[in-house]
Parts: sequence; structure tokens; C-alpha cells
Amino acid sequence: MAEVTFDKVRKAFGSAVAVRELDLAIRSGEFVSLLGPSGCGKTTTLRMLAGLETPTSGAISIDGTVVNELAPAKRDIAMVFQSYALYPHMSVAQNIAYPLKKRGVSRADRDVRVAAVAATLQLGALLDRKPRQLSGGQQQRVALGRALVRDPRVFLLDEPLSNLDAKLRAHMRAELIELHRRIGKTMVYVTHDQLEAMTMSDRIAVMHDGVLQQFGTPKEVYETPANLFVASFIGSPGMNLVKGELRAAGSGLAFVRGDLSLPVANGGTAGAAVTLGVRPEDITLGAGPFACTIRVVEPTGHETIVMAEAAGETLVARAAPDSQLVPGQVVPFAVRAQRLHAFDADGRRLPLVFAQSNGA
Amino acid sequence: MRNRSLTSRILLNVLAWSIVFVIAFPLVWMILTSVKPQFELFRIPPTILPQEVTFEHYHRVLVETPFLKYFRNSVILAVGTTVLVIVIATLGAHSLVRFSYPGRERLAQLVLFTYLLPSVVLIIPLYLLMVWLGIANTLFSLMLAYTTFALPFALWLLRSFMQGIPQDLEAAALVDGASRMEAFVDVILPQAVPGIISTALFTFILAWNEYLYALVLVNTDEARPLTTGVMNMLITAFNIEWSLLMAASVMMSLPVIIVFALLQKHLTRGFGAGGVKG
Ligand SMILES: Nc1ncnc2c1ncn2[C@@H]1O[C@H](COP(=O)(O)OP(=O)(O)O)[C@@H](O)[C@H]1O
Ligand SMILES: [Mg+2]
Repeated sequence: MAEVTFDKVRKAFGSAVAVRELDLAIRSGEFVSLLGPSGCGKTTTLRMLAGLETPTSGAISIDGTVVNELAPAKRDIAMVFQSYALYPHMSVAQNIAYPLKKRGVSRADRDVRVAAVAATLQLGALLDRKPRQLSGGQQQRVALGRALVRDPRVFLLDEPLSNLDAKLRAHMRAELIELHRRIGKTMVYVTHDQLEAMTMSDRIAVMHDGVLQQFGTPKEVYETPANLFVASFIGSPGMNLVKGELRAAGSGLAFVRGDLSLPVANGGTAGAAVTLGVRPEDITLGAGPFACTIRVVEPTGHETIVMAEAAGETLVARAAPDSQLVPGQVVPFAVRAQRLHAFDADGRRLPLVFAQSNGA
Repeated sequence: MRNRSLTSRILLNVLAWSIVFVIAFPLVWMILTSVKPQFELFRIPPTILPQEVTFEHYHRVLVETPFLKYFRNSVILAVGTTVLVIVIATLGAHSLVRFSYPGRERLAQLVLFTYLLPSVVLIIPLYLLMVWLGIANTLFSLMLAYTTFALPFALWLLRSFMQGIPQDLEAAALVDGASRMEAFVDVILPQAVPGIISTALFTFILAWNEYLYALVLVNTDEARPLTTGVMNMLITAFNIEWSLLMAASVMMSLPVIIVFALLQKHLTRGFGAGGVKG
């Protein structure tokens, strides 16, 4: 069990900064995902924790001890690489046994533990094969096995599922969740797939351009995104973002965009530029104070994704699978006021509270 | 398609075989001459196949001349140079590929700089250096000299080879508990074997066939390799012992052919495909 702390950690490669002033406190036994688009510094963060890169500044500690200068071998960490990095000249059994061998575990003990891990990961029949004779999913399990065979303080996983096909990926996702539940180790999981992060993590660290955007539970990052980046990165289809401004309306304020007007119950100053965020599931088609024109209808089976136009904006909404919408149709719609999001001109979350509106 | 392929196949074969003939003829002639009796050599018209096969020349070269001593020298020289070059070049190439330090690229380029100088230019300074070091006229001095000009190429060959080894492999070994040297030996070296073999082959052949440096740097039979030794004993101002020369030449060529035959399947063998996903 181990806590992991990043304290103002920065990593620059020459003039390019990969990670900026990262502060992150991971609790013992927690499953944390580093989530962000490609190139945002996830792998670099993981490699610094593993000891494969030295931070330019800042401190990384495991269980309260700064490990900046500690060699990878001494950190008691296991890592699954994005490329799997299986040793091509060793058999599956030798690959899995290698970390034990390097730690002086006797041959007999090694065999016992390799057999146990192979059984868990259903690799028993493949132990004598070379990595190149395995499928992607099998290689992935060997890479996992090489990490699991030890009892390290922290597990690091760098996009371990990204090269698998959709079905196997869903299966392995479930396996990993189950695995974490069983062994209860601290795990840091890198992914660019928000669905993976949402389904597996205790907490998610959303990164963008080397900067940590938000660190919170899947519910927190989904329901109260800290900024526009998190709001638009999390969720599929993504959040609808409508640019407008706050204007005085009656006794209070209202968010206004074209002929669209939403009363604000609390917060905000008149004249401020505001971006309104609405999740597709928070738009109800069929009844309400606003009107939109249906443009595209995409039934997916368990729901229907609808693209509609209102106030010159394209809005994406979720509708029931049996909804009888057709393109060109003009339908009324409502938004759920208590689930709206507002961001200021710099993209930061605004503490605005909207009132349920009755008319446009 | 079929028609075209038939004519072009015939043409290609004719071309290929004529090239093979041009290249192989001197070798075949060498072997044939080495087993012809002395009196048959200068007969006009010449015989292609020997009318009488004799191994007398081989016997004379082996028994009556210092051939075996030269042979031993050549083996020590070629093997020693190869080992020295491989050890330095694998470690050096690894450093050029994996470690980042200022001037790394510049260093890699500078290494090739020695090839810009004609080798004759370097002989005299090198000889004086050997005298100064007190190792002139020894096999060791030749070994060092050969190393200096085999090393740059070996470094580049191995460097480009090692660039193809995924960086994650070494990183994985480090995380798995290996020290840097252990990661190098356990993971990098096995991946580099085909590259090491090609480099070794190149160095061995270079050291085995080298003539100029051996001629200038060494003038005692104790340290003379085959190239200069055979020339020295069989070619004098008055006479060339053709049949002995041919017998010696055949025996000189054998080790290279044997080494090549043993190693050539490793030369083409791919490495580690599939160990790391694309
Ligand atoms: N060894 C390196 N040298 C130079 N730049 C690097 C190196 N490693 C990563 N980078 C840069 O740092 C940034 C973050 O990379 P990385 O951590 O691999 O992103 P991610 O894993 O999120 O896709 C990228 O812009 C990448 O080009
Ligand atoms: Mg990455």
C-alpha cells in the first residue's frame, strides 16, 4: 500500500514543457486515472513516477519519502507499458519471471508464482511461446502478468487497453476493475479514453497541455467540470457549449444568446461573457419553452442522438429510442436548469445557478 | 506477363551467370593452379583442368615455410581485433543511442572523421606512436591499428542497429529490477545479436585481409600476418613461386569462407519481431 504525491513537479525536454507544476496526492489503494488527449504529458508523468525520467523541478514522493533520485529498480513499482515491452527473446514464462529473477527469488518460488499468475490471466497454455507468437490481447495479459507477479507498492499502467479491439477492451476493463478490487493496490492508470477513466477510476486527473485541469471522482468531473476543457473532454456525445452574455432581465439576470434566454437565480454580473454548457441528456425534446429544428437523427438502438438547430447553434440531444423525430421538424424543448454549466471568458467554471424557465 | 517473365528470366539468368563467372573465375583458377604439378603451369596451350592432381605444394607451404606461424598470427590478430572492436562498439553505440549528453550527435559524426583521411597519411604517425608506446613490431600494435579504423564503421553500424531496439524494452527491465548494466546484458545485447554478428564479420574480414599497415608497422616474422608474410616469402625480386603462392592463397581464403558460412544465417535472421506492438 502506498501514497503517491506529486509536489510542483515539472518536466521539460529542452524548451518543450511536457508537465507543468503538477500537484497530485494519490491515496493508498486508490485507482487513479490520468486522462487527457495524446501529448498532454500522461506518459511523462508515469515515467517520472517509475524513475525513467527525472523531474526538472519539484518532488515526487512515495509513502512520504522523496524518490526523485531513486533508481527505478529501487522504487518497488510495477509498470505495464503502452507498447507492452515484452522481451522478445524470452518465453512468456521467462518474461513473467524476470522481475522475480532480478529480485533474487529462488527458481522454485519463481515457478510457483509464475504458474499462479498464469492461471489468473489464463496464460497457462502459452507459457512456452515467444511474445511474437501471441495475439495483441495475449501480449497485453503477459505484460500485466509481469507486473502482477510481484507484490509492488504501486502499479502503473500506460494505456494498456488501447491496442485491443472493442470487445476485448470491455472485457479487460472489467477484469482490471475486479483485479483492483481484489488486491487493493494503488494504481495509476493512463488513458485517453474518457469511458475507461469514468468506469474504472476512484478519481480522475484530467490533463491538458501538461497542466492538471481537475482532479476528482468521475461524478465530480462529469457533473461539475472545473473548466471548459474538462467539460468538453468528458462525456460522449460532448457537452453543448453556447456562447452568450449575461443581461439584466426583470428583477435579475438572464443568459442571452439570440432569441434564447435563460433566467439566472443566483450569481453573475451583467454584461459578462459566459459560455453555457448543456449535456445532451439534459435537453428534453417535445415540450418546453424553446424551439429547435431537427437536422440529423441517429438511432443507436438503446437511444437516439439528435442534432437540432436553435438560435443559430447546433445542439446535440439524447432522445428515447422510440422517438418519432424527422429532420426538418420544428419541436419544442426544455433544458434542466439545475444541471446547466456556466464558464467565464477564460473558460473557468462560474458558480451560476439557473432558474427553471417558463418562457422565452 | 508470362511471356515477358520468360524472356526477362532468361536475360536475367544470362546476366547473373556471367557476373558469377567473372567473379568466380580467378578463385577457380587459383584452386586449379594450386593442385597442378609445377611442369604443367606454364604449358602452352594451358590446361584448364589439371591432368595430374598433386598436393605437393600444400605440403611444401605447410612444412618448409613459416606459413603456420603467419597463420597463427593472423588468427590472433583477426580474432583479437574483432573482440576488441565488438566490446567497444556495442557499449559505445549503446551510449550514443540511449544516453543524452551534450555533443552526442557531434561525437557520432566526429567518429567518422577519420575516414576522411587517406590511411597512408596515418601510417607514419601511428608507427611513431607505437614506438613511443614501446609496442612497435608486435601483434598488439597491429591490433590497435586495425581497431582504430574498424571501430568508427562498427560504431555506426551498431548505432543504427540499436536505434531499432525499442526504448521501452530497457525501461521495462529497469522497472523490473535490473541495473543499467543488467538491462544492457539481459535485454539489449540479445536484441543486438544480428547487428553484432554483421559487425564482427566485417571486422574479422577487414583484419584478416589488411595488408598496408601490416607491411609498414611490422617487420619481424614473429608478428607478421599471412598477407605480408606470404608475399614476403614467395615473391622475391627474382622469382614468384606461383604454385606455392596459389596453395597458400587457398589456405588463406579458407577461414573467411568458413566464418562466413557459419555466420551468414544469423546475418539475415530478423530480430524480435512482435515483441513490441506497433
Ligand atoms: N523524450 C522526449 N523528448 C522530447 N519530448 C518529449 C519526450 N517525451 C515526451 N515528449 C513530449 O512531451 C509531451 C508529452 O508527451 P507524453 O507524456 O508522451 O504524452 P501522452 O502520454 O499524454 O500522449 C509531448 O509533446 C511529447 O512530444
Ligand atoms: Mg502516452
